[in-house]
Amino acid sequence: MVFSSIPFLFFFLPASLILYYAAPFKLKNHILLAFSLVFYAWGEPVYIILMLFASAVDYTNGRFMDKFGADDRRRRIFLCISVMINLSMLGFFKYADFLVEIVNGLFGSSIKPLGLGLPVGISFFTFQTMSYSIDLYRREVKVEKNYLTYLTYVSMFPQLIAGPIVRFSTVNEELHERTIDWDGFVYGTLRFMQGLFKKVLLANNTGAVWEAIKGMETGSASAATAWLGAMCFTLQLYFDFSAYSDMAIGMGRMLGFHYMENFCYPLSAVSVTDFWRRWHISLSTWFRDYVYIPLGGNRKGAAKQLRNMFIVWFLTGLWHGAAWNFIIWGLYYGVLLALEKFVWGERLSRLPSFLRHLYAVVIVVFGFVIFVFDDMGQLGAYISSMFGMAGNGLFGEEFLWYAANNGLLLAVAIVLAFPFYPFVKEKLKKVGKRGQSLLALGSMAGYVGLLLLTTAYLVNDTYNPFLYFRF
Amino acid sequence: MKENNNKIQSATAVILAVFVLAFSCAFFLMEKKEFSESENRYLSAFPEFSAETLKNGDFMEGVQTYLADHFPCRDMFMGIKAEAEIAAGKREINGIYIADDGYLIEAYKAPKNTEKIVGNFQKFYEAVKDEDVSVSLLLVPTASVIYAEKLPSFAQEPDQMGEREAIYARSGLPKIDCYGALMDKKDEMQLYYRTDHHWTSYGAYAAYTAYCEQTGIEPVMLEDLVAKEVSADFRGTIYSKLNDGRMGKDTITVFENPENQLTVFYTDTKETTDSLYNFAYLEKKDKYSLFLDNLHSLIEITNETADSERELVLIKDSYANSMVPFLVNHFKKIYVFDTRYYKQGPSSFVKEHPEVTDVLILYNMNTIDTDLGIGGIY
Repeated sequence: MVFSSIPFLFFFLPASLILYYAAPFKLKNHILLAFSLVFYAWGEPVYIILMLFASAVDYTNGRFMDKFGADDRRRRIFLCISVMINLSMLGFFKYADFLVEIVNGLFGSSIKPLGLGLPVGISFFTFQTMSYSIDLYRREVKVEKNYLTYLTYVSMFPQLIAGPIVRFSTVNEELHERTIDWDGFVYGTLRFMQGLFKKVLLANNTGAVWEAIKGMETGSASAATAWLGAMCFTLQLYFDFSAYSDMAIGMGRMLGFHYMENFCYPLSAVSVTDFWRRWHISLSTWFRDYVYIPLGGNRKGAAKQLRNMFIVWFLTGLWHGAAWNFIIWGLYYGVLLALEKFVWGERLSRLPSFLRHLYAVVIVVFGFVIFVFDDMGQLGAYISSMFGMAGNGLFGEEFLWYAANNGLLLAVAIVLAFPFYPFVKEKLKKVGKRGQSLLALGSMAGYVGLLLLTTAYLVNDTYNPFLYFRF
Repeated sequence: MKENNNKIQSATAVILAVFVLAFSCAFFLMEKKEFSESENRYLSAFPEFSAETLKNGDFMEGVQTYLADHFPCRDMFMGIKAEAEIAAGKREINGIYIADDGYLIEAYKAPKNTEKIVGNFQKFYEAVKDEDVSVSLLLVPTASVIYAEKLPSFAQEPDQMGEREAIYARSGLPKIDCYGALMDKKDEMQLYYRTDHHWTSYGAYAAYTAYCEQTGIEPVMLEDLVAKEVSADFRGTIYSKLNDGRMGKDTITVFENPENQLTVFYTDTKETTDSLYNFAYLEKKDKYSLFLDNLHSLIEITNETADSERELVLIKDSYANSMVPFLVNHFKKIYVFDTRYYKQGPSSFVKEHPEVTDVLILYNMNTIDTDLGIGGIY
């Protein structure tokens, strides 16, 4: 079930919240668990078994690790078991066919691909459960003795299928004791709605423009249109994914949980390094804490640091999907980050901020073109369109068509991709008491109007994918 | 000040929650319709629940469409969406252009099945070539070509005329071209409906004169027929895709020749009437269906007062339904096939009926590509 759908918004969410609030605290986790399992089974009725299995494995390993209190050697064995089971599960379901393809390509063999569907959210929940095992090994979290509580953590529906990657340490205490109050409900509702509006009105509509441009016959898009398309895809991906995090964080608050922020206006970055501090924060910090730093990070000389960066960025790329383009995309960032660190970072920071924004945005937009095409032929054709070498030059009439039809949408999307909203809020603090109340009333009207509009779009549901759903 | 703001925020959250709950409650209380008049389609039924549909996800998908189809105020929400998009500057919504002079014009979709269709035409032509019949193909350009000047600026339309030429050339069928006739008449009369994907009786008449001219028939004059304005509040299929109440209405005019003595026999329902029109459809949303009672696999029309003894096999889509009233004047018998519904194949029909003298294949450029049932054509 996706959050931005009629079944979820009008039926699943109200029903789960009402029961959750009505139940005594002792039962709240169970209700949350029951709804989460229904939620997951709705989209993945068969593979739900995998999630139950993964959490049972990590729970059991955790108990063993706890049992062997001071015996680090034995504890390490259980850590290894946990990490290996998680990685093999992920490897098997996500990467087996990619591997088959590579082997067939290298040796001319004809091993049949398995053709397994990727279980929804597997990349997210395996990373979450691994964080538990590793943190437990490092003695950074307390062991969870109740399996149902542990399963509640893994399966919690707000963050189950598309992040943020909530670590056990973040919610450890809240799983047992949390404040569920009115402020949380109000904040949570408004945050959820912001995410919903972003997803339905901005992500889906910029996505539709991208689909139209991508669907144009090869060679008929001019460079201007190709860049417009790439920009639309970037906006779609940002609003789609960050909206999902907004909705997750909002629902978490309604339930009494505090998840970490996952995005901080990444498209307003001034360098590639800055971009990755703002984009999918829960993933980059995961790789930082569990891969980069254990490998030695930047503490063992420049050569080692370079090696570690490439390992992390190779893995980041691969995490996003089992195809070459994702690996290239990861390494693209590995190279650029290394360049910023060792070559032009200093000089870059002295440029006027407008140029730094431009530099970062162009790199990011181009990067997402690599990201979106898992077919190398299509990728090549699109890139040659972007440079006006595909037969329709730099500028064509079709650009005017897309720009005229979607100008307002794109203007709104671009403004909102920058920290414009917090900026206005800050400025408006200065208007008097009266003005404040009027503004609050205005924003109330805005919320209601946008919910009405969003509902209208959901009822006419023609294009409503969740991009990170399959990662 | 702070407190006041918090109160307003709380109130906002409450209003949003009430909004959501109100619609979920309304959904359960509301009576469910089986058929949507405004969208002219059957709404989806609640999906079947079984281990199988649960496992393959059909059940969940079914619930999703069921909820969307029966959502309270669905029509209103469709209209809100269309209005919002127009306000945001969109001139193409759900494949419909918001064109000048109140026209909604269906976008021409780049064809996918030309290969298959051309092949079917060739096979049909092969099969009946040795019979003593004259075969012709009439491909009708859609409003997006004839009214191209009404389309929004820079609209990205695939080359419909080029595609049409390609089908003519590759199928090898004798060509009847109505493009010129439509272009000649377009300033004089309204050839296509504003809110429906069909042509009007005037559009059909213009194409009919082209057919007559190219096959040596003396056409009847429009003035010699009796025109009847049967509806002034027609909102057609294109309107239904937007459901935006601000869009205008169409007038349907039909033409009759009072001298004709017609017998219209619907072979599938075994009904016989003496009229080419079923005015019962005027009470409904889909009023264009009044022409030849909408869809039938095979209709036999006999006209005792036709000006010749010729017999015509008409293989067609719904565009032809409004042209038949003019054609009946010249054919003693017309067999009207809809190959989407007639599966036996009209070519064997032509062979079994040596009295057939003419075959006319008539499609508009948008349905020809989607009409895969055309496989039954030979």
